[in-house]
Amino acid sequence: MTESAIGFAAVLILVFLRMPIALSMGIVGLLGVAYNTNMKAAISMTGRLIIDTAQDYGLSVVPMFILMGLFVNKGGLSRELYRVSYGFLGHFRGGLAMATIVACAGFSAICGSSLATAATMSKVAMPQMRKYGYADTLSTASIAAGGTLGILIPPSVILVIYGLLTETSIGKLFIAGIVPGILGMLLYLVAVRYTILRDPKAGPAGERTNWGGRFEAIKGVWAVLLLFFLVIGGLYGALNFWPLNLTFSPTEAAGMGAAGAFLIALSRGTLTVRNSMQVLVETSHTTASLFAVLIGAWMFSNFVNLAGLPEGLREIVSSFGVHPMTVMFMIIVIYLILGCVFESLSMLLLTVPIFFPLVKSLGFDPVWFGIIVVVVTEISLITPPVGLNVFVLKGVIGDVSTSTIFRGVTPFWIVDIIRLLILVLIPSIVLFLPDRM
Amino acid sequence: MPDSAKKLDGDPDIWEMHLRQPNIWRYIAVAPGWLAAIALFLMMGMTFLDVILRSTISNPLESATELTRIFMAIIVFASLPVISWRGTHIVVDLMDPLFNRVMSRLRDILIDLISGIALFWPAIRVFELAERSRRYGDVTEYMAMPQHYIGWFIAFFTFITAATLLTRGLVRIFAPARIPA
Repeated sequence: MTESAIGFAAVLILVFLRMPIALSMGIVGLLGVAYNTNMKAAISMTGRLIIDTAQDYGLSVVPMFILMGLFVNKGGLSRELYRVSYGFLGHFRGGLAMATIVACAGFSAICGSSLATAATMSKVAMPQMRKYGYADTLSTASIAAGGTLGILIPPSVILVIYGLLTETSIGKLFIAGIVPGILGMLLYLVAVRYTILRDPKAGPAGERTNWGGRFEAIKGVWAVLLLFFLVIGGLYGALNFWPLNLTFSPTEAAGMGAAGAFLIALSRGTLTVRNSMQVLVETSHTTASLFAVLIGAWMFSNFVNLAGLPEGLREIVSSFGVHPMTVMFMIIVIYLILGCVFESLSMLLLTVPIFFPLVKSLGFDPVWFGIIVVVVTEISLITPPVGLNVFVLKGVIGDVSTSTIFRGVTPFWIVDIIRLLILVLIPSIVLFLPDRM
Repeated sequence: MPDSAKKLDGDPDIWEMHLRQPNIWRYIAVAPGWLAAIALFLMMGMTFLDVILRSTISNPLESATELTRIFMAIIVFASLPVISWRGTHIVVDLMDPLFNRVMSRLRDILIDLISGIALFWPAIRVFELAERSRRYGDVTEYMAMPQHYIGWFIAFFTFITAATLLTRGLVRIFAPARIPA
């Protein structure tokens, strides 16, 4: 236990000194393993880990899903998604904010990153909401909160990383994210409604779109929606009937998604050799940095396992004789606190190797815990002082203060906590779909 | 090319000339990125083809899994030196305001040097493991490709990454303006 605590403290210090997370965890992991065995074994283990991780078949979902999001984005999807959701919701009071939430959820179905969702949607939705005189608090908050759905609604980079760290089925994790993601979207709509009830001037109604206009807007997004249903349907096994006979492993689903997105972008004439190359290089770079942290996190995880941290934690928990649910709530509180200062991926990488063995031994479902971790991470993205989505918005929009955004986000934050409680207390909401796979 | 280098005035910047003109150095600097991009594109196309072939004529590409592994190694390791030089590894920059200019320079120099040095041993080990599989004559299952090739590739790029980090640390000491912001 003491060794692990020292190791964890060392990682925290290095990380706060701005050392790349991959190397902080990797170096501490290496030294920790060496302390528990010997230096030769530790270096050998690292070498093996580097070779194996790089050639891991299952890991190929990471670049493919990133690629899918980037290609679709090149086709101008965000604008079209917003047009569709505006067509249906824009004429309500607060309708533009609601349209933003729904468009964010739609964009999340292609993009696996919350920050990218918030950044992309802010460019599309913010000018519209400004045009109709929306209060900055409501407009920015709806983008910041809506953007968090990116990591829950599949595909999700964070869920892939969780799946890889804990050897949990990525397919099941993705499917499990759907209902909580939709629940999140609906609760955000309630938050918009609440904001409007308190201050009707914050979100005036837009112009009504007729059915012709709505169908026109849908034309722009049908291909991408079809792609989503193909990828997720294939993953779920819902397309395994004649003449399609399609069931995808996560890798295949990701490959189909990326190729489909490429073809959609190509057919729209938005791709050039130059920007395709940029997309490919950018994806490779993101993949490499994610792999570096994965190798580091695995090394650290090997160390804490060798040092007996999981057993140590189990003993502590059983010596207090507390109910597993109490332990779960304590873990969630720790996540919420860490979320105030940590960026989502780093929080996941640092904590999952420590908590996961304990959670599993207490009899909780790994898929359910993955979703809970991601929902808590989503909350951390809009929690002061370092809610990252808020800062991304501030970076893109510029003339709104972060305190304004945080103020507007409060109702969204509260519904997020409500959603978290619902998901913790009724796990079947999460597990209903994946259990039928 | 780092923007900061463009700020240097006086003599023509040799470094910048090397990277701007289409000469051998420029190609060497961008080649791994292109290699990774091409591998990624091929992997995408191959997976697509594999699924189509399997679902239409029940005849999947047998070597798809193997090729995916090789493409993954290329995508990740060819990109590592570039992201290490540009400093786009995932970091927590929460404490940045606490460091003044001198302190943060010192901190960055140390981080680059330590990271570079720490990577050399695993790189050597990866090379040794590749050598071992060469001695044993390990080949891949379907294509019978010698496995040590990919081991060498990984070892080579891990070395380059280590060297890149060390160079970055040294450049920070002697020519800090050349480090990408």
